[in-house]
This record gives sequence, C-alpha cells and structure tokens, in this order.
Amino acid sequence: MPGLHSYSADELFQFLIQKDDMLVLDVRNEEDFNRFNVEGPFPFEMTNIPYFDFMEAEDASVAKVPRDKPIKVVCAKEGSAQYVGEILVNNGFEDVSYLTGGIKTWGNMLAPNRINFESDSYSLFQFIRPGKASCNYGLIYNGEMVVFDPSRNFEFYQSFAETQNARIVRSFETHLQADYISGSKQIANETGADIFAHHGDFKDASFKYNELGDGDIYSIGNDGPEIRVLHSPGHTPGSTSYIIDEKYLISGDTVFIQSVGRPDLGGKAEEWSISLFETLTKKVQSLDSKINVLPGHYMDWTEANSDLLFSETLGQIIENNSEVYQMDSPEKFTQFIKDNMRESPKVYGEIRKVNAGWLDVDIDEADIMDLGKNECAATTYNAQKV
Amino acid sequence: MNEIEFNQELDCRGLNCPLPVLKTKKAIDEMAAGDVLKMISTDPGSQNDVTAWAKRTGNDILSAGHEGSDFIYYIKKN
Repeated sequence: MPGLHSYSADELFQFLIQKDDMLVLDVRNEEDFNRFNVEGPFPFEMTNIPYFDFMEAEDASVAKVPRDKPIKVVCAKEGSAQYVGEILVNNGFEDVSYLTGGIKTWGNMLAPNRINFESDSYSLFQFIRPGKASCNYGLIYNGEMVVFDPSRNFEFYQSFAETQNARIVRSFETHLQADYISGSKQIANETGADIFAHHGDFKDASFKYNELGDGDIYSIGNDGPEIRVLHSPGHTPGSTSYIIDEKYLISGDTVFIQSVGRPDLGGKAEEWSISLFETLTKKVQSLDSKINVLPGHYMDWTEANSDLLFSETLGQIIENNSEVYQMDSPEKFTQFIKDNMRESPKVYGEIRKVNAGWLDVDIDEADIMDLGKNECAATTYNAQKV
Repeated sequence: MNEIEFNQELDCRGLNCPLPVLKTKKAIDEMAAGDVLKMISTDPGSQNDVTAWAKRTGNDILSAGHEGSDFIYYIKKN
C-alpha cells in the first residue's frame, strides 16, 4: 500500500538516539505491552492502543493518534502493525511505518558502541541490547574477535566481525545465564570458535567448553591485549569476570553500575550471598579503583554516560553503592539480600536448561522465552546512596 | 474434558495476528446473543489477544485451553 512503509529495529534505535519527533504506537494488548515495551536513552512519546480497538472502533481509535508527527507502529510480529498502519494511511495519515519482524526483533537487536580510544591497537565494543537492558562485548585485534556473553543474534556477530575484517575465535561466558539464551553454542557450531566457561556453572553442560581458572591469562591475535580471568562467585558459583588490558572489567552479573547481581536466583540465597560478599570485599574492592566496569546489565538508560555507553569507574561505583560495599559482615549482607528478595521469573529455570544444553527449543519458543527485560539486580532502590 | 456446546466453529490454524481476532470478531458480529463460537488458533500470541479483545467487547470466554499446538477458545456472544 502506498504511503505505508516499514522500519527495522536498528532504525528504531537510531530514531531514539537522534531524538526524532515521532510517536511509537504499540498495538499489542495491554498486558503484553505492560510486560515489555520499547525503551530508549531519551524520553519519547509512546502510546498503547491495541489493534483490536481499531477493529471495533476505528474512528475513535484513529482520533487518539496525533497527525502532526511520524507514527511508528509496533506489534508482536508485524501483521497487526501493518493492519493498523493501513487503517491510518486510509485515514489520511502521511508518515506511517511499521516495525519489520515485530517486537521480538527489537528484543534481539544489538547496538554496537566503541568503548576504548580509536588510537588503541585493539578495539573493544559494547553491544547494547536495549530490549533486554543487557550488554555483551566484543574485543578485536589483528583479525581475531572474541566475544563475551553473546546473545543468540548470531547474524549480528557474524556480520559485525566481517565489517571489522575479523573472525570470531573465542566466546567467553561470565556465567550460566538465566535471563537470556546464550549465543555461544551457535557461534561455536557455525564458526568453530571455542567456548570458555567456569566449571562452577557449566560442569553439567552437554556441550564442550574450555574450563577457566582464576588468574588464567588469554591473549588475542598473538600479541594483543591481555584477558585476565577473575573468578567472582556469588551471583552464581561459576561467575567469572574478565580484566582486559588491566583497564576494563567485564563484570558479568557481579558488579553493576547500580546495585550488584542477585545471589538468590539459584534458590541458595544464603550460601551464594556469603560467596558474593567475599567476592565484593576481597576481590572486587582490591582492584584498581580506576578500572572501567563494563556490566552485563543496566537497570535503565539513566546509567549510560554521555557517549551512551554503560561504563563507570569501579571507584565511582563503590561510592554510588556505598551501602552495599560498606557492609562489614556477611550476616548483614545476607540479611540485606533477604530483605530485598523478590520472586525470580519462572522462565529462568528453563533458560538455564537451554544454556546448559539440556533443553532444545525451536525458534518460536526461544523468541518467547527470550523476550523481556532482565531481573538480575539485587535491588534497584535500597543499594543507592540517598 | 467436558465438551462445551457451540453453535459455530472457526478454524484459524496457521494464521497470524491480526487474523485470528479479526475473523473471530466477524464471526461473533454475525451470531445471535447467547450463541457460542469455538475458535482454534495455532498462534501463541492469540492467548492474551483473545482474552483482552473479549474483555473489551464484553463477550465471555467460557473456556480457553490448548491441545498440542492448538489453542481452543469457546466464546459466548453477549
């Protein structure tokens, strides 16, 4: 239909960071909309009018849509957004487009952002997944790329490596993820890259991986930057952080810019809390305070810096979360975790099984399991300095 | 499982949204008040959509369940 066009999830992210004047019109049902919707670094206008409202009361529904700005329609898969888009075009709207592939393509979309200086010999990228509020990483040097905590958007990693004239050689896991489906297995299958993971989480995994040891040092491209392994248990027993070039700490779900990783997702809140307390007090706090923390998640976009990167010095993080870092006994810390526990999403048990290779799901099931924001931080409010 | 009596059956297997809800709406529009429609969909997304649509239009979902890959709804027109 003339007048109706489409846009991709990548383009939607560009509209959001350019602060385009537009309306995101989400036509899914209210429940699905409230569970998960589009988020961006800057405020933007968004409305939820279910597509069946346009069926039942076209004129009244159309009247709710402003005519003075581009309308970006979003739905679950794309059919309903197209349907509503056509209704709007038929009603004289001039700039209407629908999201190709629906909200799940937004949920899987990765936005690459360079972390280190252009003048460095290697490049380190943060791959932000706005639909999950998570970050994963890519390190490139001399034609080789290693990834950290890849999600299952294999096409993205493959084409990104190509643009960097690199091939993916290793995939490092910070832990057995419960909130999203890992892409490591597929990357290994498709490219021959090796998977590296800690046996504390992966000992029962059904696939082959290389066991990480605390203090192990890896390199990339022969003489590239050092990747130092720091076993940092607590969020899970096998949680591992990676220190890149002594300047960056890929912290997984151990240290976040706001708060720390939840130690209660595995049903052993007490035991894992004590372990996290040890990690934070003995290992994390003894690192150089100038090291840049690159977390596995963020709570919301207010944590991003002016380059839209989720990166903060360890010193600043310790100061901002002083209530957590100043706790002087494991008992107090455990009590703090218990006071702030909330239910863990039911799907996390299933996702863990997929990530350990015990459960195979088809792409539709994976799309459903993998949609939505993470629930991995211990608390969003009480850890903050008031 | 108890069989629910219905007046009309609508097969929406293989269709994606908005079609299952659109066809359901059209079928219900042509039925008499008190009649029951049995609708079968294979779209998992239909679950929240059909429920929300029925609530919005004031029709009753007598039963919503699934057998294999089929989601089966009995909707009574009010």
